[in-house]
Amino acid sequence: MSRETSPEPSESLPVSAVAASPVGRSTAERLHVAGLHAPGDAVLSVRDLNVRFNSENGVVHAVRGVDFDLLPGKTLGIVGESGSGKSVTSMAIMGLLPETAEVNGSVLLKGKELLGLSDKAMCKYRGKELAMVFQDPLSSLTPVYTVGNQIVEALTVHNPTMSKQAKEVRAAELLGMVGIPSPKDRLKAFPHEFSGGMRQRVMIAIAIANNPRVLIADEPTTALDVTIQAQVLEVLQKAQDETGAAVVMITHDLGVVAGIADDILVMYAGKPVEAGVVDDIYYNPRMPYTMGLLGAVPRVDISEKSSLIPIEGMPPNLVHTPTGCSFAPRCPLAGPECLTGEPPLRKVPGSSAHQAACVKAEALGGDVDVHDIFHAPPVPVSNFAGIPREDRKTVLELRDVKKHFPLMKGALLKRRIGTVKAVDGLSFDIREGECFAIVGESGSGKTTTLLEIMEFHKDQDGEVVIGGLSNKEAADSKTKFAMRKEMQMVFQDPTGALDPRFTVYEVLAEPLVNQGMGKSDIKKRIMELMRLVGLQPDHVNRFPNQFSGGQRQRIGIARALAVNPKLVVLDEPVSALDVSVQAGVINLLDKLRAELGLSYLMVAHDLAVVRHISDRVAVMYLGKIVEVGEVGRVFDNPRHPYTRALLSAIPVPDPEVERNRERIILEGDLPTPLDAPTGCNFVTRCPVYAALPEAKKQKCLTEEPPLEMISASRAAAQLEAETSTALDQRFACFFPDGDLDQSSLVSHASAGPHAP
Amino acid sequence: MTNLNAVDPAAVAEEAHLEGHEVVINKSTIILRRFLRNKTAVAGLIVFVALTIFSFIGGFFTEWDKSKIDPFSIGMAPSSDHFFGTSQAGIDLYAQMVEGTRVSILIGLVVGLVSVLVAAVYGCTMAYFGGKVDKVMLFFLEALIMMPALLVVAVATNGGGGGSFKQALPSWLLLTIVLLVFSWMGTARLIRSMSMSLMSRDFVKAAQFMGVPARRIVWRHLVPNIGSLLVLDITRGVTAAILAEVTFSFIGIGIKVPDVSLGVLIGGATSQVQTYPWMFWVPLGAMFLLTGSLAMMNDGLRDAFDPSSSSVGKAKKKKKSTS
Repeated sequence: MSRETSPEPSESLPVSAVAASPVGRSTAERLHVAGLHAPGDAVLSVRDLNVRFNSENGVVHAVRGVDFDLLPGKTLGIVGESGSGKSVTSMAIMGLLPETAEVNGSVLLKGKELLGLSDKAMCKYRGKELAMVFQDPLSSLTPVYTVGNQIVEALTVHNPTMSKQAKEVRAAELLGMVGIPSPKDRLKAFPHEFSGGMRQRVMIAIAIANNPRVLIADEPTTALDVTIQAQVLEVLQKAQDETGAAVVMITHDLGVVAGIADDILVMYAGKPVEAGVVDDIYYNPRMPYTMGLLGAVPRVDISEKSSLIPIEGMPPNLVHTPTGCSFAPRCPLAGPECLTGEPPLRKVPGSSAHQAACVKAEALGGDVDVHDIFHAPPVPVSNFAGIPREDRKTVLELRDVKKHFPLMKGALLKRRIGTVKAVDGLSFDIREGECFAIVGESGSGKTTTLLEIMEFHKDQDGEVVIGGLSNKEAADSKTKFAMRKEMQMVFQDPTGALDPRFTVYEVLAEPLVNQGMGKSDIKKRIMELMRLVGLQPDHVNRFPNQFSGGQRQRIGIARALAVNPKLVVLDEPVSALDVSVQAGVINLLDKLRAELGLSYLMVAHDLAVVRHISDRVAVMYLGKIVEVGEVGRVFDNPRHPYTRALLSAIPVPDPEVERNRERIILEGDLPTPLDAPTGCNFVTRCPVYAALPEAKKQKCLTEEPPLEMISASRAAAQLEAETSTALDQRFACFFPDGDLDQSSLVSHASAGPHAP
Repeated sequence: MTNLNAVDPAAVAEEAHLEGHEVVINKSTIILRRFLRNKTAVAGLIVFVALTIFSFIGGFFTEWDKSKIDPFSIGMAPSSDHFFGTSQAGIDLYAQMVEGTRVSILIGLVVGLVSVLVAAVYGCTMAYFGGKVDKVMLFFLEALIMMPALLVVAVATNGGGGGSFKQALPSWLLLTIVLLVFSWMGTARLIRSMSMSLMSRDFVKAAQFMGVPARRIVWRHLVPNIGSLLVLDITRGVTAAILAEVTFSFIGIGIKVPDVSLGVLIGGATSQVQTYPWMFWVPLGAMFLLTGSLAMMNDGLRDAFDPSSSSVGKAKKKKKSTS
């Protein structure tokens, strides 16, 4: 005990003092830029970290030689697909891996070795020097203790002498710091009274409670909505400014780190394959994997219609040590020299800190076209492309569809205390060969809309017409049967949507058997389907767990296409997939739509994907469509303040754009349906409303804005004069081009991380 | 034309990758491996199989049977003539043990298997239909749980109103039926809640949206997916049934003489523990072996099926030997 504690007081003070003083910082920075910094400057320095797990298949070498130095106050982004070892790295640093894992290498925190410390010894560092924010805010707080209790607990562990009052004051201060309104009262709240975004803020508050030197954030925003993600990233940055901690940001989303990271480490198959300053990685990638990742992400700010870059294949199995470059089997540039020995991280000429693990790094300059390297397929053209929208047949029509849930209270005698308007008067139609997307935060009623359509029941409020069959006219089993042939669904989670005990053949045969098809016909059709979605026909005897996520989603798509439907309903079809795989599935959906003349109804929260694949888009907020129209128009010229905020919240994988962008950060969360406003739904969070003069506010509060065509705004009139046809864009707002409240605008143009 | 060509080579490469490296291990193989790794469970399995074999072919190793009286050796201790000794009446205990063990195992297996099957179908149906069907079926189930099983067993096996019943059926079969009626409810409730969580999984929804009829969804999607739970419940059910049989027979309301079971043997020998100890200890030991082996197996099965079990791969040992 005494052996461990004795060196600490003498060491911890000077280092933190150096970190805080501007002189120390600039020295570290200069050394860092020159590539000369010694590990002593870094708060956290990881050398040759290796983690091995035992599994039924053998030893899995999950992390293979990770090296990095983290300087005080800096942010390191670790990027990679699932299974690339990012999270395992962070867990190894925190010492949170199970005992069965074998960890080698060295992790130095302020020059002290952390690996090999006992769990008890690690407890002194965890939460004090090293803190962590986890991915899922819903499960990382204990439900039976109040939020205040949990923050105080974090304080008590490391400051046993602190008085009770002091701890409470500090807890309230922390909650206020992460942007929770009236922090003193909220200390007494339980986690379930907080929304997901608020809980993640509480997690951040707990993490920074003891002014940690290193904050590890493991996908801190993946489980959150875009608007909330923007808020949380903001809080994270603020927390970093307050504490001066170095941050390790682990994510799969290249957009998230583009704006906030200083350095990026790209991991693949447990190994760092490219490392460097953020601009080097985004504008001058030298490793084909990084290039592919960047090309695989659709951009929300660019309307250019080109196919995404799919990285074929899947990451290698880490049970077997790769003999060559681990990316070689998927790399379009791989040559024989790539198969002999794994290339180490080497310095890229022309840059001091940029390193890439590729034998061809020198040859791959900034002017290489990624689309050529990865053979991105040409953009498929549909048969319907030439036909104007009005002349196409309507595949699906919704007229004033409503879904209200009664809200009951009381144990024995239930009484109705309100109504949840999950879907409140939706009307839209989808034409042949068209992709219609519904976007919105979770809780906006997107999925309920889909379920209402899939239910197809006579007693529904409102009319659903599918391929000419109305739910009102004939909802007997025969009509339903016919309707099922018209419309099929692809689910969000490809793993959950396939029965784990069915072979692919059985999965695909189920709808066909149900339609009464003969055995030999079924077999023929299944082979056809497998080829259609790009799977090997002889894989039909395998079980779903023998496929990768992308392949499983392909099976799900094949199942939906089995009965030759006109309309396919896609419920977040790619959100569960890795970026590189996601690109392949999106390209497949695009191709199928063109070849088979399908229509899609898609629900998605990723606006970049929507922009890429959709023709028309509807933005939903609290069960209502607030803006609908042609995708390019809505995205380039959003009129409703909610759409504007939503679009500005989406991170773009481009550091330059991210740094100079003005963000609209929405206040708070979706209001609970119980106290939904009487006038405009959006009034509680609206940045335009906040800036309006009192006189005009009244209109927003009392009247409900109808969904209207673009009206007499000057800019719109100008546009309308240019184009002869009516514009396909409607929105529900009284003051579409109103000024935004200044307090909700956030810009990092001046405080950019690389500002000199 | 576009994407197909782009995908195929990758898929081929992937296949080679999958097959070349044995990435995929069959789930049943994993379960078997894990089970075999648990030495206690394997021992349990061996004991249980040995007892079963003994109960079926043990009769060939002795000339005596359960009704034949040996007038020259009454109340004899175990010897080469009578392996386990004889009773007060001069009946060979070994022959009785073979018969008794067989009856006990038979009752256990039949009750264990059938009750779990009934529970699976009942529980899944309840979960699938939900609403009113669920309420009515749940009421029936709870009513059965409330019923005093002991009294019903006593009445059914002791004649009461069912005299003709008793003549038509051998007493062990009658007991089996009564045990069956009262043994499936707990499992059914468990399966109901498990299926309810399965119901919210997407593949069930997918089947519904494809228009697959309800009974096919229950049989093809729900029942197989709770298979591992069913296997565990079968071993547990077999143990419970054997114990129930022993208990009922011991207090004299289960199997009736001249039929023999472990319970009857133990019950009959309680007064003779001092005078003829083998008459008591031998069947008791057999019962312990039987239920004990099942409990040992159950432990191993749970480990094997549980995906979150701490059973690490074979790699562990390899690593130790090399390093």
